Amino acid sequence: MTTEALPTVERAQDWRLPRVLPIASRELFRSFSGFRVFIACVALGVAVITGIGAVTDALRAGFERQGEAILGGDVTLSRMHVRSQGAERDTLSSFGRLSETSTMRTMARRADGADQALAELKAVDQNYPLVGKVELGNGRPLQEALRTGVVADPILLKRLAVKVGEPLRIGDIEIEVSGTIKSEPDGIMDRLTYGPRILLSQEALEKTGLVKPGTLIRWRYALEFPDDVPADDESLLNARKRIESKLQEAGFTIRDRRDPSPQISQTLERLRQFLTLIGLTALLVGGVGVANAVATFIEKRRKVIATMKSLGATSRMVLGIFLSQIILVAVIGIVVGLVFGAGIPLLLFRIFGAELPFPAETTISGMTILSASVYGFAVAVLFALWPLGRVERVSASVLFRDEVSTERTLPRPWVIAATLAVASALIAFALFTSDSKSIALYFCLGLVGVFALFLGLGTAVTWAARRVPRPRVPELALAIANLGAPGGLTRSVVLSLGAGLSLLVAVALADASLVGELRESLPTRSPDYFVLDIPKADFIPLTALIQRDIPGAVLEEAPMLRGRLVRLNGTPVEKIKAPPEAQWVLNGDRGLSYSETVPEGSKLVAGEWWPKDYSGEPLVSFEANLAEKLGLAIGDTVTVNVLGRNLTARIDNLREVKWESLAINFVMVFSPNTLKGAPHNLLATISLPSGTSLATEADAIRDLGRTYPAVTAIRVKDVLDAVNSIFTKVMVAIRIAGSITLVAGALVLAGALATAQRRRILEAVILKTLGATRRRILLSHVAEYLLLACVTAVFAVVLGSFAAWITVTQVMKISFSFSPVAVALALGLSTALVLVFGGVGTWAVLRAPAVPYLRSE
Amino acid sequence: MSQPIVALEDIQLTLTSRAGPVEILRDVTLSVAEGEGMAIVGPSGSGKTSLLMVIAGLERATRGKVRVAGHDLTALDEDSLALIRGAEIGIIFQSFHLVPTMTALENVALPLEFAGAPDAFATARELLDEVGLDHRMDHFPAQLSGGEQQRVAIARAMSRKPRLILADEPTGNLDGKTGKHIVDLLFGLQRRRETTLILVTHDARIAADCGRTIHMADGEIESAEEALAS
Repeated sequence: MTTEALPTVERAQDWRLPRVLPIASRELFRSFSGFRVFIACVALGVAVITGIGAVTDALRAGFERQGEAILGGDVTLSRMHVRSQGAERDTLSSFGRLSETSTMRTMARRADGADQALAELKAVDQNYPLVGKVELGNGRPLQEALRTGVVADPILLKRLAVKVGEPLRIGDIEIEVSGTIKSEPDGIMDRLTYGPRILLSQEALEKTGLVKPGTLIRWRYALEFPDDVPADDESLLNARKRIESKLQEAGFTIRDRRDPSPQISQTLERLRQFLTLIGLTALLVGGVGVANAVATFIEKRRKVIATMKSLGATSRMVLGIFLSQIILVAVIGIVVGLVFGAGIPLLLFRIFGAELPFPAETTISGMTILSASVYGFAVAVLFALWPLGRVERVSASVLFRDEVSTERTLPRPWVIAATLAVASALIAFALFTSDSKSIALYFCLGLVGVFALFLGLGTAVTWAARRVPRPRVPELALAIANLGAPGGLTRSVVLSLGAGLSLLVAVALADASLVGELRESLPTRSPDYFVLDIPKADFIPLTALIQRDIPGAVLEEAPMLRGRLVRLNGTPVEKIKAPPEAQWVLNGDRGLSYSETVPEGSKLVAGEWWPKDYSGEPLVSFEANLAEKLGLAIGDTVTVNVLGRNLTARIDNLREVKWESLAINFVMVFSPNTLKGAPHNLLATISLPSGTSLATEADAIRDLGRTYPAVTAIRVKDVLDAVNSIFTKVMVAIRIAGSITLVAGALVLAGALATAQRRRILEAVILKTLGATRRRILLSHVAEYLLLACVTAVFAVVLGSFAAWITVTQVMKISFSFSPVAVALALGLSTALVLVFGGVGTWAVLRAPAVPYLRSE
Repeated sequence: MSQPIVALEDIQLTLTSRAGPVEILRDVTLSVAEGEGMAIVGPSGSGKTSLLMVIAGLERATRGKVRVAGHDLTALDEDSLALIRGAEIGIIFQSFHLVPTMTALENVALPLEFAGAPDAFATARELLDEVGLDHRMDHFPAQLSGGEQQRVAIARAMSRKPRLILADEPTGNLDGKTGKHIVDLLFGLQRRRETTLILVTHDARIAADCGRTIHMADGEIESAEEALAS
């Protein structure tokens, strides 16, 4: 027999699934316990990403399902200042059943003038609401209640100490409160800011005398199509197009029931994307647990791998078996994560559902499941590949001759290449699923940096521990020896806890800086009141009134109209794809002003300001940063619709605006000749001298309200508090997502401790046989854990502070404030986690009987 | 004499240790005929197991030529060697090396599954029946005695009807009585299947049952003796 031919066909098929899968699955389910941490790490990360996606899906689905009710009809058209009348109104009515509402801010006062509060007034017609129902506290029908008076938010009545049946002053009239509002179907659509709602009839609004030319009032027209228009999306789109073409120049912002508020949808989407990236961090930290679990598994299976090779399995076949196992385990982790993640919205909405402005739908999108699965799978494979590569390095000769230690050589080039490919694919997927590519890219690069740094730190600590002179205290010597031991905890703990803690420190410090900015920095620089709808002729006596009540008060004013951008360089804004951070300029209406000189708080950065008596073609000054994002330059044209008329102006210069100063600022400031003729009011700010008492302030504003009932004063501090409360809720969500990173870190820690447990028990047993007391062993463990926790926390604080500093000063452009509390929290958490998990292990170590371990060795 | 299934020419094996290179095998030349039974004996550290590993393709000779079942092992890569082992060689270890997470039946079927044999489990059942373990098929290694584990290992080594069986001290971890049963079983199977058997042992009585015995010392074949056919 002289055959040299090798079984080549067999070789080509040796790692095909049908051959390796049965062996892999059989082997796996009997060695499953080694994968518990692996599964927990993958499941946790996947659950976070799924949960975030599922909550957003549920909110969005609820939003879309309730679209018609939220919007108030199939389609709505809204614009500032100008009520629809005559032919235009007839055109609107021709499309279906029409309901007219108008919204504005005003001051609601007690009849005796003793108190007043900002309110959002909404005047409705007989047809309101076209969809849904306004529920009143006393169960009366809305239209009946509005025949005799107004209905109001109970919060407003409580604030003014007014009861149902008692009168309220609005503008020039005194009107009875005939009920309280329990629910308003289209409430979130025309919220101007945050004041409590008052509903009244259009007739009552006319009587208040509040609506004058130039008043900041939004008119909204809700349309419900007749029954012969099918309810599908295509018919809706066609009907919307017909309306748009007939009312092209009318300056309406048009919405339809499919996406009642693009801003809300966008905000939800961006929050989802950001939280998903934080969820990805938790998953990546868990990846360390995956890598540890796989490395331990492969290490324990060395003899099995060798046996397989001695029985004729090729390296590829053995790799195929173990890779299939890892994939199966990852899939189990992903499925567990998906199930738990999908349950998160159910739990959240059960607890907080009542606080939502619309009911959420229980649903989960394919994209959420896909992205959570892709992230989970990619991270599991990314972290498993490297230790899995060692399968190829295990020689069958292990069965005959024990190797003293496994060599820490690099895996084969294909493993390194595959690891890099999976990492790149993961980053590409994160970028692909994020609208803001730059944020996603920085986040991913930051994560790579954090992982590299903590991996380096872990190696450095191990290296240093092996080289420091041996301390004279035996407990400390043992602790340091453990830190430097091959296969010790150092690398895993530093990496997993470090990454999680850095994120928490960064979030805590960014939070502290933002809160600091909102609570402390702003009030010192910003005005105390915004005053809306001041008729031009009233400004001077109004200033005198305020300065009489509060000597030293400073008032600054600017003309103010509202209008909507309709074209940039002749292109309709609907066809312009703006970056997300500039999209808001194109959505809805903006404040417009004119000025003879560069407005205060602005800095001219390009072009010249027009001369004082300029009378040529309409000119506009655009905010420089937004102009750049919208691709606008000097010489370009913008068309705005003001008071129902389109007006085109040429960009003559660009300004930088300090928005955070809260001074009167506008994106667009026109040359005076452009807008001066249009009816408009003034917007003013009041800055009070420091030390003004709350009572003096309240008296002055009451005086203002009595003398000028049409004028609305908004307290800046109230606005900031409202913003702050929204911001706090967002930060809580970010903190929870961030904390899960630490939970992932704790899981990795528990896994690493469990892996090292047998070695630790044996070491303790040997020490006991040499005469070491339990106290001595305990102290050496505590010293080791404390050293690890402190080194990790210190680096996490440094790195987290740096990340927060970059984010706060470079991205948010506010000043950075350091929070010792946040740092103490990181140190405390780190120490507590390591000591608690380590303590459990040490307890088991100290209780372990010596004989079985000595015998088995 | 039929064509040799194992032909070693001037084999040298040098391993590197911390103290420097160590010569494990020196100029070993050996020929084993198809169907022959041969024992390798010698003191600990004499190179018996290393010689077996070289024949199995688990250790690469530093110098010399190794031909097994018609293949020149010195010219092949690791995966080709694994495929040849699967098809031509069965190995029995002193420590059994059964896969602990697999039952007796699954352990025996494993090489057949590697080869993609469609009747892996039926064949494995027959083999376990043949070694007297028909009642222990679904037991895991930890639930079997040492002798039973070695019987599973023998069945596993025989599963792909290899032309060559290599056994490294198969009775080394067993008591005398159990060891005797195992040796009887091994020789019985070898004869029935006309397989070549190369066996490393310390036990002179087991060696005497083989057709030929080679004595090793310091990595060299010290002497060889033919036994009378029994």
